[in-house]
Amino acid sequence: MLAQLSRTSFRRVAIAMALCGLALAFILFLAINVSKDLRLLNSASSDNVQWTLSQAEVEFLDFQIDLDLSARAQSPDLDGLRRKFDVFYSRVTTLRSASIYAPLREVEDFATNLEEVQLYLDAAVPMIDGDDAALMADLPLLEQQANQIRPSVRRLANSGLNFFANASDKQRENLFSTLSQLAFGVTLLLLALLLFSIYLVYLNRQNIRRRREAIQTSQRMNVVTSTALDGVIVCDVNGAILEFNEAAEQIFGHKSADVLGQNLGAIIVPDKYREAHEAGMARMRASGEKRVVGKGRIKLEAKRADGTLFPVEFAIQSAQTDEGEVFISFLRDISHRVAAENELVAARDRALAGEKAKTDFLATMSHEIRTPLNGLLGNLNLLLDTKLSAKQTRYIDNMDISGKLLMSHISDVLDITKYDAGKLQLRPSVMNLSTLLQNIVDNQSGAASANNSTLAWGWSGAKCDWVNADKDRLQHILMNVIGNAVKFTRDGKIDIEARVHGEVGETADIEISVRDTGLGIAEDQIDSIFDDFKTGDTSYDRDVGGTGLGLGIAKRFVHSFGGTIRVESTLGQGSTFFIRLPLEPAKAPQSAAEVAERRGGSAAKHILLVEDNEINRFVASEMLTAQGHRVTEAHNGKEAVDLAQQQAFDLIFMDISMPVMDGRAATRAIRALNSAAARTPIVALTANAMAEEQDAFLADGMNDILTKPILRENLDEILAKYAGSAASGAAAPATPAKTQALIDPQHMAEITETLGAASVHTLLERFASEVEKTLQELTPYQPLDVLAAQAHRVAGTAATLGAVGLRAALIRVETAAKTKDAEALQKGIDALPGIWAETKPLLLPD
Amino acid sequence: MLRFMCHIATSLFLVAAPAFAAPLDAPKGEVVLTVSGKLTNTNVEGTAQLDLAMLEALETTTIETTTIWTEGNQRFEGVSLAVLAEELGMEGTVLNATAINDYTVQVPMTDAVEGGPILAYRLNDKVMSVRDKGPLWIIYPYDSDPEYRTEVIYSRSIWQLDRIEVAD
Repeated sequence: MLAQLSRTSFRRVAIAMALCGLALAFILFLAINVSKDLRLLNSASSDNVQWTLSQAEVEFLDFQIDLDLSARAQSPDLDGLRRKFDVFYSRVTTLRSASIYAPLREVEDFATNLEEVQLYLDAAVPMIDGDDAALMADLPLLEQQANQIRPSVRRLANSGLNFFANASDKQRENLFSTLSQLAFGVTLLLLALLLFSIYLVYLNRQNIRRRREAIQTSQRMNVVTSTALDGVIVCDVNGAILEFNEAAEQIFGHKSADVLGQNLGAIIVPDKYREAHEAGMARMRASGEKRVVGKGRIKLEAKRADGTLFPVEFAIQSAQTDEGEVFISFLRDISHRVAAENELVAARDRALAGEKAKTDFLATMSHEIRTPLNGLLGNLNLLLDTKLSAKQTRYIDNMDISGKLLMSHISDVLDITKYDAGKLQLRPSVMNLSTLLQNIVDNQSGAASANNSTLAWGWSGAKCDWVNADKDRLQHILMNVIGNAVKFTRDGKIDIEARVHGEVGETADIEISVRDTGLGIAEDQIDSIFDDFKTGDTSYDRDVGGTGLGLGIAKRFVHSFGGTIRVESTLGQGSTFFIRLPLEPAKAPQSAAEVAERRGGSAAKHILLVEDNEINRFVASEMLTAQGHRVTEAHNGKEAVDLAQQQAFDLIFMDISMPVMDGRAATRAIRALNSAAARTPIVALTANAMAEEQDAFLADGMNDILTKPILRENLDEILAKYAGSAASGAAAPATPAKTQALIDPQHMAEITETLGAASVHTLLERFASEVEKTLQELTPYQPLDVLAAQAHRVAGTAATLGAVGLRAALIRVETAAKTKDAEALQKGIDALPGIWAETKPLLLPD
Repeated sequence: MLRFMCHIATSLFLVAAPAFAAPLDAPKGEVVLTVSGKLTNTNVEGTAQLDLAMLEALETTTIETTTIWTEGNQRFEGVSLAVLAEELGMEGTVLNATAINDYTVQVPMTDAVEGGPILAYRLNDKVMSVRDKGPLWIIYPYDSDPEYRTEVIYSRSIWQLDRIEVAD
């Protein structure tokens, strides 16, 4: 840029100088002209041409006078006369022939007179050249002729003089014009010189300014380079170092003075990369191909003065200078960053490992907690089969409720852990959506009627009963949402609506909405309603209970289905939850009638129970024996395999974690047997619900999985499925919805089954009289604490006997008493006789 | 200018060496040139009187040139003024050359150099009559040098010459 400017300036100066030279040449030319004109002028002033013309007249007069004298003299000097004639003759000849008179001869007057004079001379020559006597005789004639020609001679001289005077004037005019031109030229030159000198001054100033700028820029660059935090190294095409700043000194441990001029490769490139570096430089020199230059940041290793290698990040740019192409490298020591990155990666790995350990721990703990809990719950079940007082039955019932709640909490925590660890896997199977919804509604209607609410469900539009989905998870979701709706709705209604959106193709877009007229959710809480450990209004905590994990789990499960869950709510008016799931439609399996038939077939089966835990084994064994089955026990897998080889079993229950040989190995061994046992259904007993493990169990050859604790209903289902057997009591007849709201028929059936119909009847009669007595005593005029205690006591018995509607009504009375809510108390007490009137016929049919 | 200096030097040399010239004989034919004044080699009453034969006897110089008084190229034969000055031992600095009609011009001695003017007695191989500007005509080699094409030189080119006075 600078160089280009100075070149431009140089060209301008050259042009200006050339112009000046031209002007100078012009002036020189003019000066020469002036000098010539001056000389001409000079010669004109001493012009002997004019003198010659005058002389012609003088010589003629001289001749004429001599002729006159000679004509009168006695003895004239004829030779003198002849010489004078000759002189005049010579003069005229000169005028006729000389080149300098050529312009003059063009003048007509001059030419005519000259011709006349010549004629006279030509006529005179024979007389002059004659002998003396003849000349003497001719003298008068000559004189006469001379007198005649004299005016011509006179005019000849005058016309010449006029001509030369004119020529002289013209010459002076020429000189004047030339001088004017010279003056003009000189002025022009002076102007040009003036302009040129102004331009030179301007150029000079510009140069000074540019030089100052260049110096300042250079100084700034030096400051920038020397104070830069990055190492800056400049080298030429051959790799010779031209600049090495302070940061580079610190990074590489070299002194700038030591490395200037040395080869860059030898100084900073590690030995193992030297060859590649030199090859790259050579390639660039040869072909101009740049693979690194201008390609942004690059990470590589570099070498320090002490030979140690360290990671470096650098960028190279090239620039053209007067000395050729140079390369500017900006380098940064990234040792610390790389170390920090490595540390971060290590920290992340540790965190991941910790997370895995936590998951593993939770899974293990869940298993370890479930196993003893299973034992507790199983033994409670067994205890109910023994003869108990009403009080004991109630206590056991309470313990059972608490135990199951604990179990469900553990399951919740475990589900969250599994989902968050990405280990939640769905196990789809063909299921009936309508049946599931009906079951849930049946299950929840007791609680709903306890809250004086109604619960109903139905399809809106076309049905889609059969789908291929994970039934357990789906049930979990719906139970959570519907359970919440029931919990938070008093004296209202809960409507569940299922609907298929759009066409049913490979997937059916099914939305299940749960609309309640309950408390509703405050606007500021809607967004966090699906968060973990989120509970509603705290004043209800005690009443409705819950870990606050329910919706969090529901949301996770919905997501694992690929669906969405959202809520619309108005505080005080109710909430609507929308669960939208893409489900795979399925064909209906065997007809419901067939299943019912299989369930109906009742026969004692021979069952092999493999379980190392004594309590669990005892509980399961008692349950199975109670149903009339023959049970053979094995304490570990090895024993099981041995027994399977010796005897034939209808069904094998196989625990997983066992000493000697675990359940999975035993299953594989049994499946490998060359006997009928190889085809015996094997059901896993496990507290470990991990989906991938369950898949592994199935892959080992197991037919199904029964999750601990072993509950009678689950057991029945499995037995029906694999052994063609069911509980001795046939399925309870369908009861109207209203009935379900007041009593729990399933519960009553279990009690009847365990205690025997007779003792249950006695219990119920006692309970009836107790209730009726209490109803009389429950008046708002009693002390509130007595009221609460009475209501609580009867509620416990009602729960034990399955009178859920009555229990809920009593609990409302208890709560109202405790909270000193007189209005609610009155309302609750007023409602009791009506409820009892409806319940009693159900408990004690005539 | 350098050339001019040379002329001067040559002239001085010639002036300084008159002793080498041969003694002058008396004229036998019609006298065409009379040289008077400061000269060493004389024959008649302190003057040098020369006829055409005497002039022709001296070294002949030929000049072919154009002149402003004639048309076309002319061939002049005569004796170089330098030769004549040496022959007659001229010692002055200026020559007063006079024509037969008494017209006189001054010719500086410095003009008397080799390659300089001659006293021409023949034009185009013919002796010049008075009507042809004879008998003698001082001719410079006008074409050989621009210095000889000036008004001063033209004024010194006197024709019908018959007398020369050598003066200081």
